[in-house]
Amino acid sequence: MPTLIIIDQPPYGAWSGREALDMAFSLAAFDQPVSLLFTGAGVNWLRKGQTPSAIEQKSVEKNLAAAPVFGIEQILADRNSCERYGITAPVLTDGVTLTDANANLLAQFSQTAFAG
Amino acid sequence: MTNLEPHSFTLVITGAPYSTQAPQTALAFARAALDAGHTIDRVFLYGDGVHLASDLVAPPSDEPHWPKNWAKFLEKHNVPGVACIASALRRGLIDPSEQKRYELSASNLMAPFAIAGLGEWVEGNVKSSRTLYFHGGV
Repeated sequence: MPTLIIIDQPPYGAWSGREALDMAFSLAAFDQPVSLLFTGAGVNWLRKGQTPSAIEQKSVEKNLAAAPVFGIEQILADRNSCERYGITAPVLTDGVTLTDANANLLAQFSQTAFAG
Repeated sequence: MTNLEPHSFTLVITGAPYSTQAPQTALAFARAALDAGHTIDRVFLYGDGVHLASDLVAPPSDEPHWPKNWAKFLEKHNVPGVACIASALRRGLIDPSEQKRYELSASNLMAPFAIAGLGEWVEGNVKSSRTLYFHGGV
């Protein structure tokens, strides 16, 4: 029963996205099939070359780069959200599949969860 | 179309008491679910939801005490209540063993809540027929 963890919060300014990522890693660690979907402001997680040290935060790029290692099946990003935030091919993190976050996508998963 | 099969629920609360309505809504749901013949497998506190397990919450006397109300419900119905350890430590929710480990001045976990890892949530996902989330989002 694949789970979709949805991150719709920007990477900095809220902690819930990081806690959603931890949920995905935890499922994968227990061999539960899980994918990630970034949508809305959450697509900013997928921007290359983040330099958050100026705001005393750790880059979420490193965390996300570990996703395939942990066994997360797919990293999905909503196409329209990426366009809205100007995240096009040159700045989009590698290994991300663009998709349309609609009912057809959600129907492929037995459950979906947000961190909050 | 009526489904008469009773459900076992895992409830995940991510909204804090007194800043969101999540713990209150979750408690109303939990009571209604038991009344309707369903079971609550466990309650998992995640993110800001861990504040629900604090023993140091002291609301004005004419306001509901959500941590105590939840603790009474868990004890009465023998439902495990677990706060995520990573969320808890970041937010200052501490049990005696974490107090010792991090050499902190106090602990504040309300009984019967326990502190454990996200594995408890994963197990709830697998064992329960439904996992419901109570968020504080706007």
